[in-house]
Amino acid sequence: MTLFHKVLLGFVGLAAMLPLIGVPQYWLYTLTIGLYYAMLASSWSLLVGYVGRISFAQAAMSGLGAYVSVLTGMYLDLPVIPSLLLGVAAAGVLGLFIGWLTLRLHGAYLGLTTIAFGEILRITVTAEHQLTQGSRGLQVRPLIEGAGPATYYYIFLAAAVASVLLMLLLLRSRIGLFFQAIREDEDGTASLGVNVTLWKSLAFGCSTAFAGLAGGLYAHFVQLITPSMMSMQEMGYVLAMAVIGGFSNVVYAAFGGVLLQILLEALRELGEWRLAVFGIIAILMLRFAPNGVFGWLENLLKRKG
Amino acid sequence: MQPQLDISNLSKSFGGLQALKGIDLSFQKGELVGLIGPNGSGKTTLLNIIGGYYKASGGAVTLEGHKTDGLAPSTLARLGIGRSFQVTKVFKRLTVLENMLVGALADWRLSRSSARDKAHGVLEKLKLTRLADSPASSLSGGQAKLLEFGRIMMLDPKIVLLDEPFGGVHPELKRFMYEKIVEWNEAGATIILISHDMGSIFGLCRRVVTLSYGDIIADGDPETVRNDPAVLEAYLGDHHAA
Amino acid sequence: MTLVAIAEQAANGLIISTFYALIALGIALIFGVLKIVNFAHGEFYMLGGYSCYLAVTLLGLPPIFGVVFAVVILMAVGVLVEQTLIKPIHTGKVDRPDEYAIMITFALAIMLLNLANSVFGPWPQSPAPVSRGIVEFGELIIPGDRLSAAGIGILLIVGLLLILRYTWAGKAVRAVSQDRAAAETFGINISRVSMLSFGAGAALAGAAGALIGPVFNVVPAMGAVPAIKAYIVVVLGGLGSIPGAIVGALILGQVEVFATILIPDTNRALAYKDAYGLVVLILVLLVRPQGLFGKPERRA
Ligand SMILES: Nc1ncnc2c1ncn2[C@@H]1O[C@H](COP(=O)(O)OP(=O)(O)OP(=O)(O)O)[C@@H](O)[C@H]1O
Ligand SMILES: [Mg+2]
Repeated sequence: MTLFHKVLLGFVGLAAMLPLIGVPQYWLYTLTIGLYYAMLASSWSLLVGYVGRISFAQAAMSGLGAYVSVLTGMYLDLPVIPSLLLGVAAAGVLGLFIGWLTLRLHGAYLGLTTIAFGEILRITVTAEHQLTQGSRGLQVRPLIEGAGPATYYYIFLAAAVASVLLMLLLLRSRIGLFFQAIREDEDGTASLGVNVTLWKSLAFGCSTAFAGLAGGLYAHFVQLITPSMMSMQEMGYVLAMAVIGGFSNVVYAAFGGVLLQILLEALRELGEWRLAVFGIIAILMLRFAPNGVFGWLENLLKRKG
Repeated sequence: MQPQLDISNLSKSFGGLQALKGIDLSFQKGELVGLIGPNGSGKTTLLNIIGGYYKASGGAVTLEGHKTDGLAPSTLARLGIGRSFQVTKVFKRLTVLENMLVGALADWRLSRSSARDKAHGVLEKLKLTRLADSPASSLSGGQAKLLEFGRIMMLDPKIVLLDEPFGGVHPELKRFMYEKIVEWNEAGATIILISHDMGSIFGLCRRVVTLSYGDIIADGDPETVRNDPAVLEAYLGDHHAA
Repeated sequence: MTLVAIAEQAANGLIISTFYALIALGIALIFGVLKIVNFAHGEFYMLGGYSCYLAVTLLGLPPIFGVVFAVVILMAVGVLVEQTLIKPIHTGKVDRPDEYAIMITFALAIMLLNLANSVFGPWPQSPAPVSRGIVEFGELIIPGDRLSAAGIGILLIVGLLLILRYTWAGKAVRAVSQDRAAAETFGINISRVSMLSFGAGAALAGAAGALIGPVFNVVPAMGAVPAIKAYIVVVLGGLGSIPGAIVGALILGQVEVFATILIPDTNRALAYKDAYGLVVLILVLLVRPQGLFGKPERRA
């Protein structure tokens, strides 16, 4: 284990202690939201960083997971867990389908197609207001009746850690190697007998399934969802988190999500300027430190250690 | 005897341009064939159709008695067709070893540790062991060509398609690659070699096929093809004929 | 539906098309020369709206100068962005150029949007339009602000086409769009053409924002919807194709206006109005990614 890995584990350990050492509820709430973004940003980096396919539908997929979970709960009277799983399945299956449909597209063409899918999802959720209450938003039952902030915090911490570990497991397997080979060169990968069609679609589906899980949990935590969670602005926020953390690595991206959410709250006096500053930082990162804050940190510690 | 690979009346057009004009060719198991022709004569296009990267506009490719029409490149690779690319397609941000593992691991029956052992074996033969853990982006042009070679060796292909494997390669490395090609061929693989390097073609191959503007203008043993006036004309152009 | 109503819808569609074309032409110009899709185009458009607001409402200039002001400002913004963020793509200074180009312009969009939110606040502003009142063509009634904005828009489009056709700079732009390498061997300064095209593309977006801002409202988020329409238009016409952008805009304008009429449940029809074009975009990219006028991409 490198020094950097120890530092990361230290962060996670510290995170697990926070409720015990009397961190105010307000901060637990903030961190819980941060963990939601951690899941979302790392699911996005799973696709962009490893398979080299850019999707702008990730926020919409999180929203899909949320709405499917909430609506199946409301209209089919399902308990929370099965409805959450249905949300994950819906996002995963739609992602698989989009991944398959867009196999031949790359770069900006793929970006535009995913913007279109994301926006169609958002518009549909907004338009079907008999079902979803449109932009007024939908009341959602809690994940656990009467649970306090610490409980939610632990659930999100566990979910985020589990998601990232699952992603790492996938990426360390031979499938992860196929993903990266595809990112480098599709024809070259196919020439070696790797089923590019299958793995490209599956990568899309996995990434959106994780986004769907994040969205479903988020819905039952904040207990009010609106279509704005599916907007391109929200997508931009996720992108900034992944880029600032480091989009080439699911772990960096996850930490980027938490980091930005913490900063967002800590710098409240700055008002709207915070988001503009995040945009500037994301731009500078892309240009000068493409591995993000945590990639830079890992390098730094490697040289020291 | 049924040919291992049979190409019949194969044509390919890109918009108005006819890159292949209905060619017939067949290859027996264990042949070592050179494929030559001027720039743009359709050599790479032919390889791309055999490998499943392009769809033919007409005609058929038959592999061991089965039409390959509609099969994906990855499926054809699994059926035993290995290839290299004119413009090297190594995975730059993966290590040399990882590059080697991709093809082996595509076969799920092979465990990761045996794939690794096999890769190390091949790397050693190619004298690339020292670079196993370096990113492929750090390789020289010649080393990248060798790595592509090695990746194909990992597949144990029945048919090997090589598109300009010597492009930009140092003479010493080139001799090393000749040995590998012969070794491969002696182990039973059919080899189709595209090159503009006539020394290599005529030194290695027992049969040479010449393409010009999408047509086969010569097919036979090296001596005959070398002295064929049509081949000379294709290479040297009209002013020579006139 | 009466004949007048149909004519009115068609005229509305044409006016909308003009705006779409103005924005889309910038995207097409930039894609043609630089082979990147500018995902911040909607925010350039928004900045055009605010430039106009600054000039007209705060400085008290006549509205037409608002448009000129916006063009100048956005030209400068475009050149600045090209020099600092886009140029490194073509000089081999970034690791993953494809992904970088997409993400950097998307991040720029977020940054500009939030910057506008911070500086101007989320409240809508409405600078004075170039002209007010209504214009009557027989029974056909069209609001003057829209008509004048569309008129100026058409002038700008025609001007751009003339520049591309007859000036040396325009020819250089077309040469680079068609074949970068060949253009370079003919001694065209690619990096100057790139800078110019990006600046001109941004200026077109700025002009559109300045023209349309007063008709609707100037708000930080105003760029999102028109930008997406413009992407649909350029994809429909073929990414990078100038005539494609114009034809695409004409088609989308009519499709939107009439698709809304054809669906019986009007509330639903309106709610889905912005989705029709997106479906078109997906279908075009899946079935014919080169669009109506583009060249197919060549596989390595
Ligand atoms: N994807 C494509 N789209 C359009 N035209 C193509 C495509 N691939 C090949 N061509 C054209 O088909 C013809 C044959 O090309 P091909 O690459 O097969 O030639 P080649 O014999 O391999 O030449 P070289 O020796 O230069 O490699 C050329 O005119 C080429 O321009
Ligand atoms: Mg070739």
